[in-house]
Amino acid sequence: MNINTNRSRAWWLLFPSVLFLLIGFIYPVGTFLLESFKVGSNIGLSNYQTFLTDELNLEVYWRTVRIALLVTLVSAVVSYPAALAIMQLGAKYRGLLTGLIILPLMISPVARSFAWLVVLGREGLLNKTLVGSGLLTESIPILYTESAVFIGLLQLMLPLMLLSLTSALENLPKDVQAAAKSLGANGWQVFWRVILPLTRDGLAIGGTLVFTGCITAYVTPALLGGPRVTMLATLLYQKASVTVDEAATTVISVVMLLTTLAVNAALRSRSSRAA
Amino acid sequence: MKNTNVYVLGVVLFFLIAPFTIVFMTAFSDDNSLIFPPKSYSVRWIISVLQTETFASSLVTSLWLGIGATVIALLLGIPAAYALQRYRLPETEWIRTALTSPLIIPGLVIGVALLRQFVLIRDGSVNLALLVGHAALVLPYAVRVVGASLANLPRDIEDAALSLGATRGQVFWRVVLPNVRGGVAAATVLAFINSFNHVPVSLFLTGPGVTTLPIRMLLHMESSYDPSIAALSMLVILFSIFFVLITERLLGLSRYV
Repeated sequence: MNINTNRSRAWWLLFPSVLFLLIGFIYPVGTFLLESFKVGSNIGLSNYQTFLTDELNLEVYWRTVRIALLVTLVSAVVSYPAALAIMQLGAKYRGLLTGLIILPLMISPVARSFAWLVVLGREGLLNKTLVGSGLLTESIPILYTESAVFIGLLQLMLPLMLLSLTSALENLPKDVQAAAKSLGANGWQVFWRVILPLTRDGLAIGGTLVFTGCITAYVTPALLGGPRVTMLATLLYQKASVTVDEAATTVISVVMLLTTLAVNAALRSRSSRAA
Repeated sequence: MKNTNVYVLGVVLFFLIAPFTIVFMTAFSDDNSLIFPPKSYSVRWIISVLQTETFASSLVTSLWLGIGATVIALLLGIPAAYALQRYRLPETEWIRTALTSPLIIPGLVIGVALLRQFVLIRDGSVNLALLVGHAALVLPYAVRVVGASLANLPRDIEDAALSLGATRGQVFWRVVLPNVRGGVAAATVLAFINSFNHVPVSLFLTGPGVTTLPIRMLLHMESSYDPSIAALSMLVILFSIFFVLITERLLGLSRYV
């Protein structure tokens, strides 16, 4: 079969989806993002200048990146032992455990954040327990702080890291750990010098998913962060719907997108360099 | 070391699952405001939620939106996945990236862009923009999951059918599609659940009249602090679990996630 009949067949099958995406997605999103460069009837960067010279905006940006990085780091640190445990427990439990990890992903973020409202509030479960057990003398504010957003996002994103690492470990040849041990490596050495380098791709994929998810999540910062802990997503909503600041809306969109793309690119290049 | 790992896994699972027991317990609360643990239990909030007109109409909106977006994504995504899998051409990598790009574009950006460029500038329908946004959002699931399923289907089977005189259409309907039905079903579940639970795209594209259930829940939480959201969350959670379990039972969903 020659390549031209193949090409025309492929195009007939691809045409509807490509057309839909061009009209319904790429065109509106593309033109919308380009508007960030529009200054009156000219083209320029002054919208960016206005946005980036405002201290408040920069604070929101760094807070968003900081929380996203922290969630990514903590989810990786916690997911490695958990994923190793899933491997150790063997095939018998793997289906059940994977199911339990996937389940939260299928549940509405609104319902998931709501649960944390009950736990983290001033009169919430955590404060009551801490005060009741004498660890605290009076309840402390947890809800509407960065900690609350961190906890909510960690619960939201952890399954993605855990699943990426579990599937990376599944692809690891079975006897590499035993081989390293028989050659005299201790537990930490096996982890740092065998498991970690061999699961770098899975770590990079999990890291990308978690970080991107944190940067773009709206419900969790809106409900658990409240008005004081503004993140990029909640700032975008404010600028678009409350203050109706067109220039700021487009600039935040571009900044948000560039941040996720940069992290995607950085983690991808790291993982492909692993030899 | 081994025991530490299992211990960490236990803590992780507790952290992931325990919040849902809180939702379930509060759903059965008899109190007027949100207190945990509830002072007494009843089903009155669950009944009250089921009888609330605004929740019911939002549920209907979300169900139709989810079904509509899923059908569009499957109709567009299955042929595309087939083409990407079977015809490796120089341009197909670009198209694959384009078709899965809604996954990396923040949902809020998609929502606000559709609002500005279609509804405000071109006077388009908000409902149509909402449907298009959700369809674009879940299209990647159809392309990727059905694609993964197609990758496991040997091409020889199709060639055999062709050489026995089947037309290309017959090969697709009677050989290819029955063999990837697991992938199609998994894509259906993932697309529907993701649309049903999604907030950011809908945030800008709902208003008076048409509001999806998650947005309605958010709005309600901003204005009142009572166990009705717990009752509603529980119903939504049970619905998702039921939907996922049925598919898992029938097809083994976890292989595709």
